[in-house]
Amino acid sequence: MDEDKPARVAVTVTVNGRRLSAELEPRTTLADFLRVDLGLTGTHLGCEHGVCGACTVLLDGRAVRSCIMLAVQAAGHEVTTIEALANEGELHPLQQAFVDKHGLQCGFCTPGFIMAAAELLERDPDPTEQALLETLGGQVCRCTGYEAIIESVRDAAEKLRQQGVGPLELLAAALEKNAAPGGGE
Amino acid sequence: MSGSIPNSLEELPVSEIRWIGKGVERLEDPSLVTGRTEFIDNVVLPGMLHCAILRSPYAHARIVSIDSSAAEEMEGVYAVITGSDAARLTNPATTAPEGWGGYCLAHEKTRFVGEPVVAVAATNRYLAEDALELIIVEYEELPVVANAQAALAADAALLFEEHGSNVMLQRKFTWGEVDEAFDQADLVVSDDYRWNRLGANPMETFGCVVDWNPADDMLTCRGSFQSQSHMGLARSLVLGLPSNQVRMISHPHGGSFGGKGGFRGVDICALLSKAASGRPVKWMEDRLEYLLAGAGQSWDREYRLQLALKKDGTVTGLRVKLLDDMGGTAEAFGAVSAAKPLAAFTGCYAIQAAEYDLTLVATNKIPQSPYRGMGPPPHNWVLEQTMDKAARELGLDPAEIRRRNYIPADAFPYTIASGNEYDSGNYEAALDELLNMADYERLCAERDSAQAEGRLLGLGLANTIEPGVFDWNAYAIVGLESTGVPEGITVAIDVMGRITARLGFSLEGQGQYTLVAQVLADYFAVTPADVSIVYQDSLSAPPHFGPGGSRLGVAITGAALGAARLLERKLARVAAVLLQCGPDDVELMDGFLRVRAMPEARMHFAEVAGAMLARSDLLPEDSDPQPQATYVWTAPGRTPADEQGRAKSYLTAANACHLVKVEVDRDTGTVDILGYWLVDDCGTRLNPVTVEGQTMGGIAQGVGAALLEEYVYDESAQPLTSSFMDYLLPSVYEVPRVEKKALTTPSPFTPLGAKGCGEGAMHTTPAAIMCAINDALSPLGLSAREVPASPRRLWKLLHENAD
Repeated sequence: MDEDKPARVAVTVTVNGRRLSAELEPRTTLADFLRVDLGLTGTHLGCEHGVCGACTVLLDGRAVRSCIMLAVQAAGHEVTTIEALANEGELHPLQQAFVDKHGLQCGFCTPGFIMAAAELLERDPDPTEQALLETLGGQVCRCTGYEAIIESVRDAAEKLRQQGVGPLELLAAALEKNAAPGGGE
Repeated sequence: MSGSIPNSLEELPVSEIRWIGKGVERLEDPSLVTGRTEFIDNVVLPGMLHCAILRSPYAHARIVSIDSSAAEEMEGVYAVITGSDAARLTNPATTAPEGWGGYCLAHEKTRFVGEPVVAVAATNRYLAEDALELIIVEYEELPVVANAQAALAADAALLFEEHGSNVMLQRKFTWGEVDEAFDQADLVVSDDYRWNRLGANPMETFGCVVDWNPADDMLTCRGSFQSQSHMGLARSLVLGLPSNQVRMISHPHGGSFGGKGGFRGVDICALLSKAASGRPVKWMEDRLEYLLAGAGQSWDREYRLQLALKKDGTVTGLRVKLLDDMGGTAEAFGAVSAAKPLAAFTGCYAIQAAEYDLTLVATNKIPQSPYRGMGPPPHNWVLEQTMDKAARELGLDPAEIRRRNYIPADAFPYTIASGNEYDSGNYEAALDELLNMADYERLCAERDSAQAEGRLLGLGLANTIEPGVFDWNAYAIVGLESTGVPEGITVAIDVMGRITARLGFSLEGQGQYTLVAQVLADYFAVTPADVSIVYQDSLSAPPHFGPGGSRLGVAITGAALGAARLLERKLARVAAVLLQCGPDDVELMDGFLRVRAMPEARMHFAEVAGAMLARSDLLPEDSDPQPQATYVWTAPGRTPADEQGRAKSYLTAANACHLVKVEVDRDTGTVDILGYWLVDDCGTRLNPVTVEGQTMGGIAQGVGAALLEEYVYDESAQPLTSSFMDYLLPSVYEVPRVEKKALTTPSPFTPLGAKGCGEGAMHTTPAAIMCAINDALSPLGLSAREVPASPRRLWKLLHENAD
């Protein structure tokens, strides 16, 4: 019987600043690992074939689609999800901008948009229209018609520039604190 | 009970309105942007199993045999069920029209590709899908009915043999002297049109977690239910349970747009749970299942539209002939989309003679479901495009022919030919505002010079009605004949003076909880953040329906105001005892119950509520000590449909006027939207930011409808659009930036004068874009009469028909 069961493999991965080990079936997607095994349900699944971008998370700071990536591929890497962004109840500037500019309605695609935008603004704090469209063009929203999302990302970019900090830089301190022994998750 | 609702902001018991009508920040948002909202796929229950569904690979086939023994023996599999279990334990689906439904799992034969045939419950989804691989189903293929025309053929195979035909419904409705109008017309304009299947595609697919407790026979269904009570009643009929043993718990959903179905999924999970001794069973539809056979396909239509006109452009008669391909069954209530155009059949125009010749047929495609707009968007398109054709033949500008046919501003309330009553409007004002805003004259000059250079540049003008606040009577012609759709809210004050509103619908994106908080905050002079909104399940909440038919904003405003007014009266009675005066001498103002003649003698509502909760012994004996009240709002004055389908159905009629500038690329057939302007009027805007959000979302879906989205089937009814690489959703690249203005003509019939506006631009955008494309093509003598106007279609039109 045992040989019929898919073999499990050990995976060590850093998620939101915390190092974790798990034994997984190799076929487990990164999204299912985050959502089911770790309970990080803020990463949403919209299409499970890599088109809609709802499941976007960051892998070593780069946006990836966790629905078409296997958890084992994340071994040895750092994964950042939407849960890492707010700090002690205070919204991240990107999250606040989506609230302020009505950049969401049902909110299902929003974590993916925010993670994709976080990667863009870390790399390019003052993106051109073209750069913005290229990033947001990889994400699908069915509610907003996009205009308000574009405004949200612009607004966040401006606030972050004023603070002189990148969207991921801002996470570093909070993540370090979480990763410390006794830190909250 | 409508007399108890304040009808205007002036009647609210505050000296200053601080929240209603403002772009108040949404209470829903912090939870959503942090990923904390509990969508159904987040739900995990102890002992929960996961369902996977084996689906028919054939559009029409007899099921010869099913061998699921290997799956049943697989470790981790707890239950396997088939159509014979469904036929033994359940009733066929409730449908409209009646009698066109099957069981949740195909019994004896399958009627469309993707129809569920066998379902498995296992300890996780991976294993459940593994188990499907072990199931062997033998099919015998049957002749396929691939489209609506084929369904009508004399020798067509039958979807439901017992009906002897594939025609689900065929009726002709005549309103006014239609033949006379056409006999006496100076000009008759006619065209044929084709609107292809498209659908909702919310970013979250449908999901549910169902448990059927064998101990007390209680069925608990958690899921992304758009209308939990409606869904629960249908489950009780299908599963043969008393209605009070079906408890529906609706989770916030990631979009809906009418297409949040899942009837079969819930019934399948119920049967699996029963088979697995009551363990909860989760089914999360994946996107491939959604695209293949989910509740996401709507409006598969062939139209012929005729207008009778006088020389001056006055339209005197309208004939609409519709053939709609409903797919394999009527289980998903897609037929309501063919009925709803009655609510605004003649659009913005005063056309008193009209005819609707309607044929709904069954084919071997996926059953149709509702989608945002529920049917009028294609109807509006064919009407508006034919108006343009008439304008061209008469040498009139599109704006002018519309202006000559508008229902005049002083004619409201106005009863249209198909029976519905429009509450209010000023269509000419909207048109003028739009033409000014866009500088229409300059645009026309630009278009003319571009066309003179051979560029395919065009302008499209379209104006439409959005029927708001639906009533069942609007769908009487397809078999849903009741009248009245309730929405209830309970408002309670706790011992700390905080306000909680309890209601029976979950969030799907329109910001309804925020709206309830806005209304109550202004009533009791607190802030929206001081108000908690608590969702209640179908057996706990006051009578409710939830979102649908552009109703909820109006309905919950009425319910919240009504409950607040009743609560105010209760508080006043108690305050009168405490302040030692008569109950009629007390009024609420700025959060205080005060003695009218002596306003300094007052108590804050929190004190009064506290006294009620703590010292009911001090209250008069017959008084209710609970500082809470429930009000159930229902649209007033709705009438049952007559034999021609005429009824006062939708309560409000919002209007919008859109103008689009497009350019068609001759070499590729692609359409670029170069400019977009609109003016709309949905009465009082209770939260202008969320109203605008609805408008923009409707534009995006309208762009998708006009240019991109289509479910394609081959000649054997095999679906060819099975992923988002084939079914194209609009992205940030396709949706234009829009210049917008709002007019405000309040509804005389609704609390605070608001009109339904959730479908918004979806009613208008497809028509406006198609009118613009046709304006661009008109110098070539070509017309695009099929939606979506995809590059392939336009290229073929340009290169196979032009010189």
